[in-house]
Amino acid sequence: MSKPGAAERAAEIDSGPAVIPVAPAVAPAHDEPQARAIPNRDARSAALEDFFIPDLCSNRRVFTVVLTAELIAVTLSLARPSAFFLTELARISLFLQWLGLTSAALLCLARPWLARVSVPHASLGAFALLLLNTAVVSESALFFGGNFEGIGLPETLFPREHWPFLLRNEGICVIATAVLLRYFYITHEWQRHVRAEARSRIEALQARIRPHFLFNSLNTIAALTRSDAQRAEEAVEDLADLFRATLRDSHSPLRLKEEFELTRVYQRIEELRLGERLKVRWDVADLPMRAFVPGLTIQPLLENAIYHGIEPLDRGGTVTVSGRVVAGNIEIAVTNPVAAARNGQSRVGNRIALDNIRQRLELAYDRAATLTIEQPAGEYRVTIRFPYTE
Amino acid sequence: MSAEPLSVLIVDDEQPARDRLRRLIEELPGWAVAADCATGADALPLVGKLRPAVALLDIRMPGMTGIELARHLGTLEQPPAIVFTTAYDEYALEAFESQAVGYLLKPVRRERLEEALKHASRLSAPQLRELAAPEQPLAARQHVAARVRDELKLIPIKEIRYFRADQKYVTVRHAHGEDLIDESLRQLEDEFARDFVRIHRSLLVAVAHVASLERTADGGYELKLRGDGETLPVSRRQIADLRKRLAGR
Repeated sequence: MSKPGAAERAAEIDSGPAVIPVAPAVAPAHDEPQARAIPNRDARSAALEDFFIPDLCSNRRVFTVVLTAELIAVTLSLARPSAFFLTELARISLFLQWLGLTSAALLCLARPWLARVSVPHASLGAFALLLLNTAVVSESALFFGGNFEGIGLPETLFPREHWPFLLRNEGICVIATAVLLRYFYITHEWQRHVRAEARSRIEALQARIRPHFLFNSLNTIAALTRSDAQRAEEAVEDLADLFRATLRDSHSPLRLKEEFELTRVYQRIEELRLGERLKVRWDVADLPMRAFVPGLTIQPLLENAIYHGIEPLDRGGTVTVSGRVVAGNIEIAVTNPVAAARNGQSRVGNRIALDNIRQRLELAYDRAATLTIEQPAGEYRVTIRFPYTE
Repeated sequence: MSAEPLSVLIVDDEQPARDRLRRLIEELPGWAVAADCATGADALPLVGKLRPAVALLDIRMPGMTGIELARHLGTLEQPPAIVFTTAYDEYALEAFESQAVGYLLKPVRRERLEEALKHASRLSAPQLRELAAPEQPLAARQHVAARVRDELKLIPIKEIRYFRADQKYVTVRHAHGEDLIDESLRQLEDEFARDFVRIHRSLLVAVAHVASLERTADGGYELKLRGDGETLPVSRRQIADLRKRLAGR
């Protein structure tokens, strides 16, 4: 019984678990796209994707099966000092390669059916298949092995005793299958855990509406419903647009044009609330509006500038959003005036918000994106820089 | 509730928020709006003039927070009852809860408003102290309030050169003269520890206004201030501490 797929299963999850039962780990290249694949098809293929027994039909996995079977053959040959090593190796290799490849093929073919039932049932099914396969391969070995005598090969390529041979193989098969399935199951669970963690990290970084903004906006709308119903209506529409944007999948980027539109929607709501105190100067005519930007990166910069810059100022002030293209990078700066006395709390909140944007940029562009903070006299400027892509 | 409606002062930096509170109060029987204004600085003279029964104070306002305003109002002889309003302020709310201080969450419900106005009370000295505790993020005052006749006069902390403890009051020496405030030097020292240093049993000096530390003819020390060059006595016990503060500025 070989341990098909065990090794590359470990390699796929990067550093792999410390204990790899039975099969020695041979690390083929990464299988990143498969690990990251976001199932967006029907439920059945999603279940198949999430099945604990891996797909053993891919080229790379077949190779791993062959390699693993051979390594076990070497191990078993070395463990029998009485026999001649090469003869022993040839014999065991032949048997194990057949057994490994047919087992892998069977599991591969049965996988769509096994994936539809519960884990215990699928395990029982796999057991039955592999036991049956071991029996068939053993019988074949006895049959063909017996027929070699006439053509001058060593007279006992395979043992003569029928039942002991078959039962020994079945016994090994039970133990090996149990270890193998357990291993598949544990690595699968572990990998699921790793994936869930990565997802929750991305979700945690996803842009959110600040409660401060939400409740103040609702209050503004409550005030407007009677005094200016039309503006209240528009404000509700704007708020809905903004909310929908924050609920979007954070993976998908936006065009600069869309992101600016969202930012202006946000600006409109804040203008209702802050009135004359808020002025925003847009200086982005030089930017290519088709360029991609991770969703909700610029809106939170404006939100920050208003919350920490404009709101603490008696008479308000002007926030400037400016952008340009520098050496294949898009550079967008948001500058706000700063009140003379700022308390420590707001600075901490500010840093958290900016760290969040920075991490999202890093996730989207690796190290090619930067976020820098400058504090020229009486001002606070945050500049983001990321590669220009269309 | 008397036949004469009770008056309410609304302080909030956002126009729509003020409009809404005004409308809600005008619809409540037995209550009337005395005035509304956008900042704490505007509110102080209005309170002196109109003597509202209740003041509705937004917490987050530019210049002076609602909490600071409440502290200044608390020094009046007949302060109004206080109800705070906020859209979202988790830290402040904890203090309000623990001190049983009235507050309203925006958007305010009419029933809650009525309830809060009915039960609004003046804040006691311990309540105000607790709201202003250093661990409260919105606590740091940017002014002290001196009562001049019946009005509150705000003195920006930045303009204050020193506090001097007299028999009963504390004298505030600032850029435009002197005023008396009803606070203890001890508490002032705690609150403004970042910018002020004790140089004498009865003197708390703004580090930023110190020009130099000089030796006197009799072997003691005195502090010379910037501006008019006023000198202040320094007690021996405070010398080491003072030197450290001056070196570190």
